[in-house]
Amino acid sequence: MNDKINVKDVSFFYGTNRAIKDINLSAKENSVLALIGPSGCGKSTFLRCINRMNDIIPGTRMTGDILIDQDSIYSHKYDVTSLRRRVGMVFQKSNPFPKSIFDNIAYGLKINGIKDKYEIENTVEKSLKSTALWDEVKDRLGKSAMGLSGGQQQRLCIARTIAVQPEVILMDEPASALDPISTQKIEELIQELKQNYTIIIVTHNMQQAARVSDYTAFFYMGELIEINKTEMIFTKPDKIMTENYITGKFG
Amino acid sequence: MLTHLEMDLEQLKIKIFRMADYTMEAVSSSVSSLKNSDFDMARKIINNDERINRLEIEIDEECIKFLVTRQPAASDLRLILAMLKINTDLERIADLATTIAKETLRINGTPLIKPLIDIPRMSEIAVKMINTAFTALTDKDVEKAKGVIEMDAEIDDLNLQIYRELFTYMGESSKNISQSLSLINVAKALERIGDHTKNIAERAVYYIQGEDIRHQKPKI
Repeated sequence: MNDKINVKDVSFFYGTNRAIKDINLSAKENSVLALIGPSGCGKSTFLRCINRMNDIIPGTRMTGDILIDQDSIYSHKYDVTSLRRRVGMVFQKSNPFPKSIFDNIAYGLKINGIKDKYEIENTVEKSLKSTALWDEVKDRLGKSAMGLSGGQQQRLCIARTIAVQPEVILMDEPASALDPISTQKIEELIQELKQNYTIIIVTHNMQQAARVSDYTAFFYMGELIEINKTEMIFTKPDKIMTENYITGKFG
Repeated sequence: MLTHLEMDLEQLKIKIFRMADYTMEAVSSSVSSLKNSDFDMARKIINNDERINRLEIEIDEECIKFLVTRQPAASDLRLILAMLKINTDLERIADLATTIAKETLRINGTPLIKPLIDIPRMSEIAVKMINTAFTALTDKDVEKAKGVIEMDAEIDDLNLQIYRELFTYMGESSKNISQSLSLINVAKALERIGDHTKNIAERAVYYIQGEDIRHQKPKI
């Protein structure tokens, strides 16, 4: 598998506070990378660097570089709008628009200039099928998305993300507010989606990281302590700090 | 202060060490019963096997409970997986000790066709191997565990030697056949005990450094 994302010497500062320090890692194409670590270790900050979501926070700055398909996304020539199209994001709390289920997905297509009604309908259906939501909502596409359950809303947000055909999907604790059945559906979905996308997921649930990811990176106090195949991290980590964290000795 | 997880692991370790003690005692006593025609001791070994069987089930159940409730990772996970396998090996070793005790009863005090030298030697090595494997596990000492694997070769050699010797005895007189077959069974049981102990040492290495060293051909 080729590297989809290459992170080079990335540090991120909130004012003078260096929240992440000299991170170097790569994410393989069509794989799932899980970021684990205790609260405040910088994993969400790092995730947001990958689609430049931190740009809008005043008083912050980033050093180093992040490349997607060898293109520097921090180059002054790089169009941030096109980056957000290439790199979709799913948040901890589902955030559907206060619109119909159909419009939630169609919205992104429309602002991307797609006007053909049939193309939009097809994409909405395809996206909802990809997220295993179609059968549950096909008879009420015109109803408000706010009437869906938490798990359905989260899957709708994933459908909305994939409708614009990104290459990378970032997920920040996508199942932490969901019940076990909805969590299982999201995890199944992640396994399906990795056939076509590169996924990076932040999770506090280590069993979830073990279940869904191919690679796991352990962060501690802003530093990347270890990255390896998930199987190795959970059975035979190289670093004692990783061992202590995943066996619950700290964090 | 130990966490509840660490306390659960300690309890499990205590149980498996107790089982190892019972097993070593059974191996050592079984050969003593043969050497001294001590039928009471032989019967005691056969009866005591039940408590080892019960411990095997208890340890299995506790390991499963630990896996389900604690969802261990890294060295904790490796320890539980190692214990599940070691548990089975110990139970088999204890079964083999009862096989030896049954041979004591079968020989039934008939004068031995030859003085027992190599069989007690095999038993000493086997007990030492079990003891060392468990010390390696406690001390997390890979070299010690690998030493156990090397000791197994000594037991295998003695088994072969005993087999050849008894084969000669059987050729000399048909009267020797019955007892020779019993002693071959005893030596074979001890050889199998060595193999199970080797497994225990291999599981200890897996626990300590996460490396699976089973079925590795010796370098020529």
